[in-house]
Amino acid sequence: MTDATATVPHASAHAPRPRRIPSGVTKWVGVAPFMIFAALFLILPTLNIVVGAFQSSEGGLTLDNIKGLARPEIAKPFMISIKLSLITATLGCLIGLVMAAAVTRGGLPKGIRDGMLTFSGVASNFAGVPLAFAFIATLGRLGLVTIIAKDVFGVSLTGFGFNLISFLGLTLTYLYFQIPLMILIVTPALDGLKNEWREAAQSLGASGWQYWRMVALPILWPSLLGTLALLFANSFGAVATAMALTGSSLSIVPIILFAQIRGDVLQDPYLGYAIAFGMIVITGIANVIYIVLRTRAERWLK
Amino acid sequence: MIKKTNLAASVSVLAMLSATIASADAMADLEAAAISEGMLTTIALPHDWCGYGGVIDGFKAKYPGITVNELNPDAGSADEIEAIKANKDNTGPQAPDVIDVGLAFGPSAKDEGLTQPYKVATWDEIPDDVKDADGHWYGDYYGVMAIGVNTDLVDNVPTTWDDLLKPEYAQSFALTGDPRASNQAILAIMAMGVNKGAAPGEDSGKVGLDFMAELNKAGNFVPVSAKAGTIAQGQTPIVAAWDYNLLAWRDSLAGNPPMEVLIPEGENSLAGVYVQAISAYAPHPNAAKLWMEYLYSDEGQLGWLAGYCHPARFNAMVADGKIPQEMLDKLPPAEGYAKAVFPSLEAQSANKKVVTEQWDAVVGANVE
Amino acid sequence: MIGRAKFWSWLAFGAGVLYFFLPLIGMFEFSLRAKRGEYSFLAYANVLGDPQFQQTFLYSVIMAFFTIVWGVLLVTPTAFWVRLKMPKLRPVIEFITLLPLVIPPIVIVFGYIRMYNTSSWLPLTGTAVGTNILLMFGYSVLALPYMYRAIDTGLRTIDIATLTEAAQSLGAGWFTIMFRLILPNVLVAVLSGAFLTFAIVIGEYVFAALLNRPAFGPYMVWMGSNKAYEPAALAVIAFAITWACMALIQLITRFSKHERAKG
Repeated sequence: MTDATATVPHASAHAPRPRRIPSGVTKWVGVAPFMIFAALFLILPTLNIVVGAFQSSEGGLTLDNIKGLARPEIAKPFMISIKLSLITATLGCLIGLVMAAAVTRGGLPKGIRDGMLTFSGVASNFAGVPLAFAFIATLGRLGLVTIIAKDVFGVSLTGFGFNLISFLGLTLTYLYFQIPLMILIVTPALDGLKNEWREAAQSLGASGWQYWRMVALPILWPSLLGTLALLFANSFGAVATAMALTGSSLSIVPIILFAQIRGDVLQDPYLGYAIAFGMIVITGIANVIYIVLRTRAERWLK
Repeated sequence: MIKKTNLAASVSVLAMLSATIASADAMADLEAAAISEGMLTTIALPHDWCGYGGVIDGFKAKYPGITVNELNPDAGSADEIEAIKANKDNTGPQAPDVIDVGLAFGPSAKDEGLTQPYKVATWDEIPDDVKDADGHWYGDYYGVMAIGVNTDLVDNVPTTWDDLLKPEYAQSFALTGDPRASNQAILAIMAMGVNKGAAPGEDSGKVGLDFMAELNKAGNFVPVSAKAGTIAQGQTPIVAAWDYNLLAWRDSLAGNPPMEVLIPEGENSLAGVYVQAISAYAPHPNAAKLWMEYLYSDEGQLGWLAGYCHPARFNAMVADGKIPQEMLDKLPPAEGYAKAVFPSLEAQSANKKVVTEQWDAVVGANVE
Repeated sequence: MIGRAKFWSWLAFGAGVLYFFLPLIGMFEFSLRAKRGEYSFLAYANVLGDPQFQQTFLYSVIMAFFTIVWGVLLVTPTAFWVRLKMPKLRPVIEFITLLPLVIPPIVIVFGYIRMYNTSSWLPLTGTAVGTNILLMFGYSVLALPYMYRAIDTGLRTIDIATLTEAAQSLGAGWFTIMFRLILPNVLVAVLSGAFLTFAIVIGEYVFAALLNRPAFGPYMVWMGSNKAYEPAALAVIAFAITWACMALIQLITRFSKHERAKG
């Protein structure tokens, strides 16, 4: 004879048993808000643009918009943007590496390292409108350096053909946030270069330069290339700095897109989608390279 | 007989009175409707352009129940048209109610169905050749294309357009906007053409573009949108703009740095008219109409005059003695206006077509 | 050999200092030139007294505040949940949080304009309030990589599994766990993310300009074309604010390390 009530568990003397979240579908509730938000305000708008790049005004699918990217007034800004981003990324990489190496391994006092890292954090965020103003105030026609060069050294920068609104001027300005970004990313990598390796190389008779060329640089190489890609994407998408330097008449891709979104200066709304799509493709490729190379580089730093 | 004339007189007085009362009623109705809408969205009205700052403040003071929502003061005429197009289905605060665009942009906006007709109370005092017969767009003010120079940076002030080609003006000359979108920039190019004797229209556009190409090749053209700030900071020491803008900027800089404003010598100078229009998709049509009434009232017209512009009702108001002498004295000297060419609508459209379509090909200024 | 290396190091460092400090000195000097012939703080007085400055700055500060609150509320539970219950999802979430660094912001806001205008299913741009909300979401997307990184790092340092078990056995619900247990413990990380978000929102231009909102970024660009010396003063103020944010992050991180060492 079984007691039907025997299976009732007796109530615990403590608080009632806490609800356990059953595994399976309900687990997803916790990440649902984030996923919905990311979908609505990050992924779907981007997809909207990507799809729009292939749409025609009649509603069908077409490659005409993409082909429109080959028009000289679009292709040229793309070339200029790519060139500008490549050069600022490469220079940012090199100069950042040299500075980071100088401060972390060059035998300078320790306080300088912390100071430089803090300043790099500030400078890499100083991009945008105020940076443009700072450079106009320094290297513009009435800038401090221009005036000092003229009055103290008798050198006219404009006489040399220097113009802030030129490739060189823009490069100089962009480097102000590219170099600190490089310093911030590469310093941990440099820290990862174990001292034992350097000592081993020295004991085998290698000079400082040989150590760098044959030991340090090959180890850092994936990290460097990866950061190069990141800096490239960073520079390619920068709008505010260029906008504040020149207004909307400069021939780089973000500004063309900005003018197109605002005022349809190209007289073809679907071309705007294609330009945006082109931007996504380029920065996407750059970032894929960055992620792939960073994962390979991290193997060395374990 | 006397009784009859008296009767006729009193009837006509009554008619006039009732007409005034009727229009006063209409005005009161409009005011009430506008205030119930509560907002007016404008676009591309910099405060130092034709004294718009004072005009907007005056409107706000007169109708405190209406919030003035100002969009994008640095927009060009094409940007304004695009803003209407982009916001056809949008009744939010990004949709402009009223636009102020170059003369050439008025008819094309009407053709695209972007405007709605409205005739202000003082309609008859606006000259016929600057308004649309149906009331879709109407001239608001005009000025003459001139050159402004930052005399801190430039020792020899250029006196003609051709002077600008001299090597001493390397990287000095700029327009006020993108020649594909800004009416002021498009007409600056037309002014260059007209000044060299080309016929207003396609010819002046071509001649002007060729001159700009020369300037660009000589390295004297700066592809920056020039305004008071860029003139003072040194990126654009020499600028081509409407005389009223240059004078207003000169005032705002107050001698630091000093600025000179002159109309280049040559065959002719170019006068440019701007027109007002109400958007066909205006979210606040009554506020828009009230705004137009205000602009074309004596108060509004004098507000523009204070900004060195010649308002549309200028001749009529001068004839009625409504303009104080001090304001007349402050205006740019009349000789500049004596040689001024007022290009017709067709000429402006032809010029606009040439410039916007061929700018990239002929000049194609960019970063190199 | 060490001596030679040291020489080059000092040279590189000196060149770097020159390059980075000259623009700062230049912008400060330019901002003092408002009065002809003498140095004065007239430009700063003009800027700080300008009602437009006050309005746009206030607007951006308020937006930054809401962005931070929303960011914390969104990211903290998500990062916590993923660490606790769904660790395999981490790479996916991390990938999503890195997307804002890949997709140029101008493309994102272009998408917003097309997707949320008044003829769409969610007409956010139809009203000022709706557009403000859209702008806030946009800002939080921009700040997402930094916010997530900061909070995730903070969660790594505390043993959330044990804490949660303990709390649950005492009968705490999820809400209590989140707000009375987890959040206070990652406060330092949250504050770091918050200051970084603040710096980003204050200087942001593209979103605010294309959504036509009266924020500080478009105001600065407008000043740059229209005024002579005030833009340089604005740049100095912006730099000071960025510096303050970074310094505060450093301060609280160091402060928390001491606290941890003590306790």
